[in-house]
Amino acid sequence: MRAIGRYRTHLAASLFVALVPSILLAGTNEIPRLTFAQLVDSIRANSELTQSIQSYSGKEVEIRGFIIPAGPPDLSFFLLSRVSALGNYCCEMPVGQDETVYVFAAKEVKITYDPLRIFKIVGVFEAGMRTDAAYGPSLFRMRNATVEEALGAKIFKTEEIASPASKP
Amino acid sequence: MTIFTVAFKYLRGRLVASTLTAVSVALGVSLVVASVLLARGIKEGFIAGATDYNLVVGAKGSPTQLVLSVVFRMDLATPNIEYTIYQDLEQDPRVEIAVPVGIGDAYQGFRYVATNGAYFAPFSWRRKTFSLSSGRFFADGPPNDATYEAVLGAKAADSTGLRIGDRFYEGEEMAEYPLTVVGILQPTHSADDRAIFFSLSSYWGMNEVARKMTVKPLTAVLVRPKRMSDLPSLHRELNVAAETQAVLPSGVLLTIFNMMAVAEDVLTMILAIVGVIVLLYVFVSMYSATLERRREIATMRALGARRTTVLGIVLAESCALAAAGGVAGILGGHAVAYLAGSLLARSGLVANPFLFNVLEPAVLGSVILLGTLAGLLPAILAYRTEVAENLAPLS
Repeated sequence: MRAIGRYRTHLAASLFVALVPSILLAGTNEIPRLTFAQLVDSIRANSELTQSIQSYSGKEVEIRGFIIPAGPPDLSFFLLSRVSALGNYCCEMPVGQDETVYVFAAKEVKITYDPLRIFKIVGVFEAGMRTDAAYGPSLFRMRNATVEEALGAKIFKTEEIASPASKP
Repeated sequence: MTIFTVAFKYLRGRLVASTLTAVSVALGVSLVVASVLLARGIKEGFIAGATDYNLVVGAKGSPTQLVLSVVFRMDLATPNIEYTIYQDLEQDPRVEIAVPVGIGDAYQGFRYVATNGAYFAPFSWRRKTFSLSSGRFFADGPPNDATYEAVLGAKAADSTGLRIGDRFYEGEEMAEYPLTVVGILQPTHSADDRAIFFSLSSYWGMNEVARKMTVKPLTAVLVRPKRMSDLPSLHRELNVAAETQAVLPSGVLLTIFNMMAVAEDVLTMILAIVGVIVLLYVFVSMYSATLERRREIATMRALGARRTTVLGIVLAESCALAAAGGVAGILGGHAVAYLAGSLLARSGLVANPFLFNVLEPAVLGSVILLGTLAGLLPAILAYRTEVAENLAPLS
């Protein structure tokens, strides 16, 4: 019985030693998520950008938003926007370059396109004014991007908005 | 004598039944291949024929009708908008280029498209380039200076037989304003190959109502913004206006693709049922063939053939039938897709039936594997054939 108990202790210790580093590593590999609010906040005079947003340049990030099919219908290029361009603009005004990301897809995009659905885009982020020969100037870009439906994505995080009554 | 030689001899021995089985496999495979090729070809055709412009502005109505009529010439033209809308867009600081388009009647089914020189201009962002195979572009004069010169798309020139210098018209009311062919375009592999282009002044000059109008009519304006991020604001402004709608052509095509995907799902289910029926046919054919030659199999066994050899012969037969049917089916599928693609091209839809799907070798492999598996039960039956039982005298 004692031998079995010792065996169990060794097994638990071995599993702990084996799994903890992988859990820690998995945590460090998480792709950072940028929001359109962060993009807007990063813009300074003369289209200059903050160091904090520029630190994401060349790194893989995730941004969620509406797809505006501004390029060819294979979606090899499209705009990612905070607001859907194909809605009736009932509650939001269309956005400008501060809330628009130029997305260059890595490979054939296989999604069921829906102008009113939020998609999750993961790609290599680029910040800073640059002019593309085909699509013109832009502040934010994502290259080698993959596209998937953002299931359960929240458009507004109401719980984060403090109600007037809760203010001191 | 190898297993394959014996299997081949057996197949030749019942030539009609073997041929019919292979033909049924070929028909099933060709149906699958043709359906996949056509669905993909139509989609590729839409993508290849899509406009390089990012916004199509037209009268209020159906966005799909606007894009299909203006870009693909596959639907009736939407109502007219005023020429001033084009002038306003041309002056808009957010717009790099605006191109006016007027969709008219047709000559022998090839639509008249009135526009200006910008339609053919080689901008750096354009995938499609226009060049003349002969002649020159039409004179692009002021509104009251109609020249009635026409430039034909490659397919329109080829089908109508019109050449440089020919004058043509269709319909009594057009007899007074015959168009003169001054140029023929190189193929662009888009709907423009099937169009007859002329100037807006000629478009307005031909039409009695338009001649009297002070503000001239247009069907649509193609818009390219300077920066893509201005697209949403342009889109909104033109959509909230009382007279116009602005459409993202790629958005409309993606909606069409979504609808096509539903049809493709239904087709996939039908094709799966066809596949099962074909496999059942192979199974029944091999099963009845095995039952018929139990005595022969027993003789082979009595002469020293092993059970595994008998199993191998039946499996080789079904494998050969599936392989022959699979190869014929892939070739037949391409032929059917080519014929159907030619028919679709007449209605203005450009499909490329010559697309080779990288999955075709996998399809052939799957057909051979499934065909061989369909022969597995008959092969086991042959494997289990008892010599003494089946070599007993018949009488």
